[in-house]
Amino acid sequence: MAIYSFWIFDRHCNCIFDREWTLKTNPSSGTTNSKLNEDTAKLLYGMIFSLRSISQKLGSLDSFNEIRTIATAKYRAHILCTASGLWFVLLSDLKQEDLSQVLRYLYSEIYVKTVVYNWLSPVDFAETANEKRGQGFRKIRNRQFLLAVEQFLGPMVN
Amino acid sequence: MAIQTILVINKSGGLVYQRDFVPNAPRLSSNEYLILAGTLQGIVAIASQITPKSLQLDGKSSARGGSEPMGNNSAPLVPYMGTLGATTANGAPLGSFLGPDYFNDAFASWNGRGLKHVTTDQNSLFVYHTLTGIKFVAVSTQPTTNAMAVAVAENLLRKTYCLYADYVMKNPFYEPEMPIKCELFDQHLGTLVKQL
Repeated sequence: MAIYSFWIFDRHCNCIFDREWTLKTNPSSGTTNSKLNEDTAKLLYGMIFSLRSISQKLGSLDSFNEIRTIATAKYRAHILCTASGLWFVLLSDLKQEDLSQVLRYLYSEIYVKTVVYNWLSPVDFAETANEKRGQGFRKIRNRQFLLAVEQFLGPMVN
Repeated sequence: MAIQTILVINKSGGLVYQRDFVPNAPRLSSNEYLILAGTLQGIVAIASQITPKSLQLDGKSSARGGSEPMGNNSAPLVPYMGTLGATTANGAPLGSFLGPDYFNDAFASWNGRGLKHVTTDQNSLFVYHTLTGIKFVAVSTQPTTNAMAVAVAENLLRKTYCLYADYVMKNPFYEPEMPIKCELFDQHLGTLVKQL
């Protein structure tokens, strides 16, 4: 089992959380909410956005056709789109065929309980109009959340 | 799993061939298919850009990781497709790709980094790149991430490429990069998909 990175995007196309592991052998390696990952986040968002619009066209009209995974020759991206417009994205190796349960847990047990239920956490990470459309810079810095993500995903890194 | 649509995208991102195999396939207008082809062309390049850092770091050890779903097994036996290189069930030759010079060994995909496979709630989409930049895309009617299904689909697209080489490229009336209107290609592609 190997996972490479974990991303959360909000409904304003901003990346509000990113965690990338750089060494498979060390679950505490890598970066959290890194400025250097901004461009990668935009590329990832763009790729999912385009494929999502394709899949919605290909699906039948009376039901949603949400995107689940994207695989290249080297890695696989697992995607969970929530009704509130959040995207949870997990990049893993090709042996992981379906991590939707992991993403669902990250959303319902970790994100909802530590960010949504937290009174001090902002409802919307884009505070002004010019922080929308991918221009936002605010990230989830909640210690509880970071700790819970670390504890849950750490064992899956290598 | 049934094949819903097969698309051929030329090296500049234009749609040159589109065919539905399922009667109740969602009808997209030809304009929408063109947009779809162009979008896929862009995504293929982007997907290789966002390769995770940890993979880039130990990339030297697995620099040729192109054929990971196939593994390094040597048995090219694929369910529903028969042994690669064998004749078809009814013995009818399907073109030169059945000759002994093709498909005798497990193939390493040329697509070492780009987009390969997308699953959604209802479909999965397989992409096969050729060395010359043509992309063959198959849309199937069921989501699957099974490595064997991906390998089968990739083989189907590789055989489509062989049919393309035989009946499109060898057609003296075909203009390169233009929409494919070759009756023989249509016919043989229909046979190939029906055999699945």
